Amino acid sequence: MARYIVRRLVQAIPTLLGVSLISFVIVYNSPGDPILIRTFDPNITQETREILRRQLGLDQHWALQYIGWLTGVTVRGGDVVEEFDRDEIRCSYFPGLNATFCDSGGGILRGNLGTSIATNQTVWERLVERMWATFQLGVSALVVSLLVGVPLGVISAVRQASIFDASVRVLAVVGNALPAFWFGLLLIYFFGVVLGWLPTGGMRTVSLTNEFDLADRIRHLVLPTIVLAVGGVALISRFMRTETLEVIRTDYIRMAKAKGVAASRVWFVHALRNALIPLMTILGPGILGILSGAVITETIFSWPGMGRMTFSAAVQRDYPTVMGTVMFFSLLTILGNLLSDILYGVVDPRVRL
Amino acid sequence: MKNKRISILAALLVSALLLAACPQPVPVAETAVEAPASDAAVQGGVWVEGSSADATILNPILASDSASFDVLGWFFPSLLGQDPFSGAIVPTEMAESWDVSEDGLIWTFHLQDGVMWSDGEQVTADDFKFTYDAIASDLVETPRKANLDNIASIDVLDPLTIQVTYEEVKCDALNNLGLGWLPSHLYAEDFSDVMDSPLNEEPAVSAGPFIFNEWIRDDNATVLRNDTYWKGAPNMDGWIYKIVPDAGARLAQLQTGELDLIGVQPEQLTTVQLNPDLNLHKFQDDGYSYIGLNQANPENPQAGQDEDGNLVAQDPHPVLSDLAVRQAIAHALDYDAIISKVYLGQGYQIASNVLPAVGWAHDPSLQPYAFDTELASQILDDASWTDSDGDGVRECNGCATAEAGATLTIRLQTNAGNTTREDLGALVQDQLNSIGFDIQFEAIEFGTLVGELLGQTFDMVIIGWTGLGTDPNDDSFWHTKFDTPGSGFNFVSYQNPRIDELLEQAVSVPGCATDERATFYHEIQKIIHDDIPYVFVTGSVGNTGYSKKFNGTDPGPWSFYHNVETWSLAQ
Repeated sequence: MARYIVRRLVQAIPTLLGVSLISFVIVYNSPGDPILIRTFDPNITQETREILRRQLGLDQHWALQYIGWLTGVTVRGGDVVEEFDRDEIRCSYFPGLNATFCDSGGGILRGNLGTSIATNQTVWERLVERMWATFQLGVSALVVSLLVGVPLGVISAVRQASIFDASVRVLAVVGNALPAFWFGLLLIYFFGVVLGWLPTGGMRTVSLTNEFDLADRIRHLVLPTIVLAVGGVALISRFMRTETLEVIRTDYIRMAKAKGVAASRVWFVHALRNALIPLMTILGPGILGILSGAVITETIFSWPGMGRMTFSAAVQRDYPTVMGTVMFFSLLTILGNLLSDILYGVVDPRVRL
Repeated sequence: MKNKRISILAALLVSALLLAACPQPVPVAETAVEAPASDAAVQGGVWVEGSSADATILNPILASDSASFDVLGWFFPSLLGQDPFSGAIVPTEMAESWDVSEDGLIWTFHLQDGVMWSDGEQVTADDFKFTYDAIASDLVETPRKANLDNIASIDVLDPLTIQVTYEEVKCDALNNLGLGWLPSHLYAEDFSDVMDSPLNEEPAVSAGPFIFNEWIRDDNATVLRNDTYWKGAPNMDGWIYKIVPDAGARLAQLQTGELDLIGVQPEQLTTVQLNPDLNLHKFQDDGYSYIGLNQANPENPQAGQDEDGNLVAQDPHPVLSDLAVRQAIAHALDYDAIISKVYLGQGYQIASNVLPAVGWAHDPSLQPYAFDTELASQILDDASWTDSDGDGVRECNGCATAEAGATLTIRLQTNAGNTTREDLGALVQDQLNSIGFDIQFEAIEFGTLVGELLGQTFDMVIIGWTGLGTDPNDDSFWHTKFDTPGSGFNFVSYQNPRIDELLEQAVSVPGCATDERATFYHEIQKIIHDDIPYVFVTGSVGNTGYSKKFNGTDPGPWSFYHNVETWSLAQ
């Protein structure tokens, strides 16, 4: 088991390198220019733009920028030590190569994701700032999806072809098709504006003191959780229904019934446990699906999470932030899949890792 | 005074993303302005402004987006004030008066005495000099470097007197002196910490009506009353900037009272007007929407001038360099329908580049192009753009600029996500195709559009200017020296030596008297109107919806909060 995990983690290294190279090439060569977007203003001269571009290293070929992003070491032709040497950046000139090497002490290989062009914060700082909000929303949506989706799926399977089953199936299709922005605004209007029961957005009631108030936080969580979970409920209930239908036709279920085990015990202990196994395979990727599907929900509900940050970073061509989130989500994907596989071994003893 | 041009970028960006209106600047009709409270002001209360975008950095010389200025504007003193109603530069901030030398090159500013930072240090001329020296420093990466252009020197004569010497007379030069001042006593003298000082996130001191309290990124920023504000401490306890990215959600929160102020979209106007708890502030914004027509060949973008300042003949655009085609476009658009259907009535037709809001320079006698499809068709026929093969699209049959047989095919682009512009594009396509054009319309992502625009590789583009400010000088849109592919804002490659000359003369009038400058601007407007480098679609109208919970609000087009220290909670 331990050897398996280590082997998988070692295998992850080339995967991550590949992901970083491909996304770096795409991100840095996509149309649009972070400097132009930030200085789309007739009062700003071209000279200013060039200085900014040079200071941020954006004038260099993307391959050099990629090396810089990986290692924190940048190379420039000629002796430019004077121009780039700072307290935190050490530069030295090699006359033989007629090039200046600068070491910023950063680089992703040294665990440094770089600095955001848009806000001047470190990318890690930006990620950490938003992580908690996204995590909170993602976990609550996942829990709701499971708590609602699994029983709905099981019950509609055992009551196959009943009215309940039909309505769950219709709900699943509708839930999958509901556009989050529309459903979100509808809920805001109904529960926030008309009834006034729930807040219309944000993580907390903003005040000058911003004291922590758990009840207030939970009230703010309700509507975005519903919107985010509705797709998950639809997916999981459909999935559970199919799996349960397969399982209840097997011999051991017939055997359990024949032994006279109570019906609810048959469904929720004997059948469910086996039907849950395949669910593990979609759980890892599913968590990520919920995290990444949060962009629209986070926007509608003014939720200060990572989805919104990534989207606006892409629009502003904030390359380091985009790359930082790409790498972060790639790592999560790899870990999520690994976790899925490990859990598979735990719930199904037939699987040997 | 706010640096208005800054909001061009920000407003475009914001509208690109979310179609948000910029809640600021020039009233057409004021609605519901309460009388200032007569007796003792009520203390307390909080005002919550809703914004689509969050601030990025709270440093007045590093920020380049309007959201950052919305927040940091509370803290940093500036040299010059701006009249909230006329937009004129007035001595209401740090400069209480100024003298100008006879040649117009040396400006001496006399500062308010007794203005204190909230930590007890006095605000002095050194803060001003430090700020502008920081902009000049190589250690500081800022898009504001151009603010120093044309300034020969800045001298501190004594702690309350600043002398600015210009290299040449430029009538709009004062606009560059409006940036907020940094508290020089909190920064290293050599500017080494300007870029990464913690003050950029948490400005510790303030010389304005509010003091920084807390900033939770993408969520909210809060500021508290500054009891030592030199114009008098505000009555309210504080102000909150709350980030609500979705326009529908912002309206909902204004209705529930979670927000007190939002920029109102045209389709939301009725909701706000019908709500008895809300006021609507409507104003002519200092911007306009237009269709830019590239005069040069997009396959071969060239600079308008060589290094010695001589005109460089452009490779002309095969279709749009033909004045007849441009005239036909200008006459083929139904402006009334566009303004009522696309802008939902929130706009007004304009004839040329100077807005009516700049009264002294605007030429009211100039008439906008009239909607007349027959005339437009006639112009095309006369210019030998005719449909000879009967497919509904005209071809060049002896026209002036294109090869024989070339069709009247033009690309039209705008930024995706701005539904107003997307609707406008569809309508323009429809109206032009009906007289024999073949318009290929596409909405592309904003960042990509900016690249095409400044790279001069487009044919026609729907876009707009905001935050043009109170000075009519817009040489960066028309002068050939700003026709530089990749960077210049004369991206339509407009080339007219007479315009270059007039633009230069208009800003270098000795004494800068407005009636003398106006002559030049009248001629400029006439020429631009006739040459049609832009088809002017509509002047912008802004709408701000706000709650009635405070007495004394008196929004001006240039500033909503100019008298915030006198507001008092309604009983």
